[in-house]
Amino acid sequence: MTFEPEIAAFCCNWCGYSAADQAGAAKLTYPSSVRILRLMCTGMMDPYYVLRAFERGFDGVLVVGCHPGSCHYKSGNLQAADQMKRVASILRALGLGEERLLMTAASAAEGGVFADTATAFTEKVRKMGPSPLREA
Amino acid sequence: MTEKRKLGVFLCHCGGNISDVVDVKAVRESIEKQDGVVLATDFRFMCSNEGQERLQKEIRERGLDGVVVACCTPKMYEDLFRQKAEEAGMNPYLLEIANIREQCSYAHRFEKDKATEKAKVLVRGQVEKVRHLKPLEVKTAPIQPGVAVIGAGIAGIHASLLLANLGHKVTLIEKSPTIGGNMARTVKTFPTDDCAMCTLSPKMNEVYNHERIDLVTYAEVKEAKRSPGKFTLVVEKKPRYVTDACIGCNRCTEKCPVSTAKSPVSVESEWDQGLTKRKAIYLPFPQALPQLWTIDADHCFYFQRGGKCRVCAMVCPAKAIDFTMKPERLDLEVGAVIVATGYQEYDPTPLRLYGFGREPNVLTQMQVARMLDSMGPTKGTVSRPSDGRAADSIVMVQCVGSRGAPGDPLTHEYCSRVCCMVAVKHAQLIKKARPDTEVYVLYNDLRAYGKGFEEYYVHSMELGVKYVRGLPGKVRKEGARLLVDVDDMLTGRRLEIPADVVVLSAAMEPTPVDDLLKSLKLDTSPDGFVKEYHAKINPTETAVKGVFVAGCAQGPKDITDSISQAGAAAMSAAVFLGGGEMTLNPLVAEVDAALCRACDRCMEVCEFDAVKVDPEMLIAVVDETACEGCGKCTVVCPTGAISVRQFTKPQIVASIDAMAPMAVSP
Repeated sequence: MTFEPEIAAFCCNWCGYSAADQAGAAKLTYPSSVRILRLMCTGMMDPYYVLRAFERGFDGVLVVGCHPGSCHYKSGNLQAADQMKRVASILRALGLGEERLLMTAASAAEGGVFADTATAFTEKVRKMGPSPLREA
Repeated sequence: MTEKRKLGVFLCHCGGNISDVVDVKAVRESIEKQDGVVLATDFRFMCSNEGQERLQKEIRERGLDGVVVACCTPKMYEDLFRQKAEEAGMNPYLLEIANIREQCSYAHRFEKDKATEKAKVLVRGQVEKVRHLKPLEVKTAPIQPGVAVIGAGIAGIHASLLLANLGHKVTLIEKSPTIGGNMARTVKTFPTDDCAMCTLSPKMNEVYNHERIDLVTYAEVKEAKRSPGKFTLVVEKKPRYVTDACIGCNRCTEKCPVSTAKSPVSVESEWDQGLTKRKAIYLPFPQALPQLWTIDADHCFYFQRGGKCRVCAMVCPAKAIDFTMKPERLDLEVGAVIVATGYQEYDPTPLRLYGFGREPNVLTQMQVARMLDSMGPTKGTVSRPSDGRAADSIVMVQCVGSRGAPGDPLTHEYCSRVCCMVAVKHAQLIKKARPDTEVYVLYNDLRAYGKGFEEYYVHSMELGVKYVRGLPGKVRKEGARLLVDVDDMLTGRRLEIPADVVVLSAAMEPTPVDDLLKSLKLDTSPDGFVKEYHAKINPTETAVKGVFVAGCAQGPKDITDSISQAGAAAMSAAVFLGGGEMTLNPLVAEVDAALCRACDRCMEVCEFDAVKVDPEMLIAVVDETACEGCGKCTVVCPTGAISVRQFTKPQIVASIDAMAPMAVSP
């Protein structure tokens, strides 16, 4: 059986989550192992959630917010980008690989961007193999 | 610890949209076993009347205190289901949606088994989230009655009138001695050639006489503070040195020695855009409101020369001159603020090739507007300022200071929108008054985009206005005239057009009100204009709740658009003020006082001025009338004291755990 990476996708309510909705409504596909969690804004995306997701066996974490300058709350996405940068260095230090975390943007109209990103990220994680924190 | 909940799960088939892909029965069976789930059921259409009734019946009969509806995106029916749950006696914030359509059956329709597995995970995640939710109460907060409108140009005037006519108390604050703004100067308005003052003046009078409008002129907002449901403004009224006893006889102006032939001091008239001089005691223009004369202390001999000159006081029959007048402070409490601070014309001096400021016969369109006024400095004829001769050849240059190269510090990148039509208007007014005048308009793109504009533009060509596509490289002086070099891009020829007067269609710039914007905590867009909440769908609101923006303060606009937007801003403000109280969104931040150590970090990251550390209690306090619930503060808080309701760390972690591969299955 091929390895199916499990991805936790934290999406902001206004852009990322709506982009995922749009992808579905437009009948675009992406791997079903991408699990979407809705936040109001990526500004509330705590580094701890990333660590928790890996601790619980996810192989990759995707954070999808608004494009810079389009945040519904002005700058939540910028704070999230900073925070994710911080947590990426922790992932590196832990030997998990910072590539297992991706922060990106997709507007509510960019269902295609969401589907493509989710697909490409899943493939990347697939190549990296299962998270070392997964139970054997 | 979470209390024991009675949870209900309702799975929707969506008429096959879900159930053709997801094995609903399998999802139901998996979820039934989850702890606390007392009901798991499925239905063809949860959003139908029948589905809603079923939801309500189960809530009532089983006493559910937590519900997950697994259906389409929450953007569709979350509100509806919450409302129905509330009607059935359950707290609406204990209901969550699991999105098993857009993000499951649609996206994974070729993988039915995997879609079913994902649906199980999504539902499980939401069930765990609901288990951790707390019932919330929707509260209201009182709003201070009254609106402050800042800026009394056409936008501020229009918004004030609408609000006052709706019954609101309005304080209209204007920086200059009179209301009317830029529109008062524009002589005629496109595309109808209506006399600007004839349409503006009645509105000015209405504002002046309105029982619910308090007009504060020659005054500036020095400070603005927001507190829940209220703005406190500190307004400083500058001294006019003329009391209300003024009868408007004009004797003081006639006798004032400033700007006379012998006077060493002369002052350029703001009203006439520097084409005429004014006295130190003056009325800006004949229809100015209020009809109160003002002493300009910066140029008055009394103030500048130690009280020697008192001519105005001596000739005043009403004893209205009072040199001892002091600035007055006005404290104002209002519920909403409309920023209508307007625009100013760009100063083309830095564009040296055009010669503005060096050649007296190079003018701006606003100066030409003054010349076209039959009461203006040249009594309606566009003339050479150098010798007063009527201009026989006039060249207008478009996009001066607008549509510059990105990053050019001397110009603006944006289009000022109105200059094309201003040029068309002035060109044809000139042609109508003196048909023999040669009028050229050198343009880049001619934008006649509004109702009646294209027809107006075509009509100007019928009158003989010549349009040349191309912007000039240089304006040269030759004898008493000017020569304009331009490459005609449509014919490829180089033209050398002699001109008596060159008119620059200068850009619209935001009026510099940086201190005010800072005080109100408003942002500007990269172009310098006030940033609206959303450029497309929310152009009159700002990120600060209760502050609205109207007219050119938000971006270049013509009069029609300024009025439309002012109307929209007034409506938004009226809706905001409502019946004196606002409904608060419960999904905002709250502080656990026991954990807060008053470090200020939440304050630092908040974009909405919604959290402040109480200096006495030494804890952060959230202003629920301002908080938007973005949760930035929750991430930077070092102790976890601040959290957003329904998005607390334990709640989010519960969802992560429930959806994770290594979740402990029940």
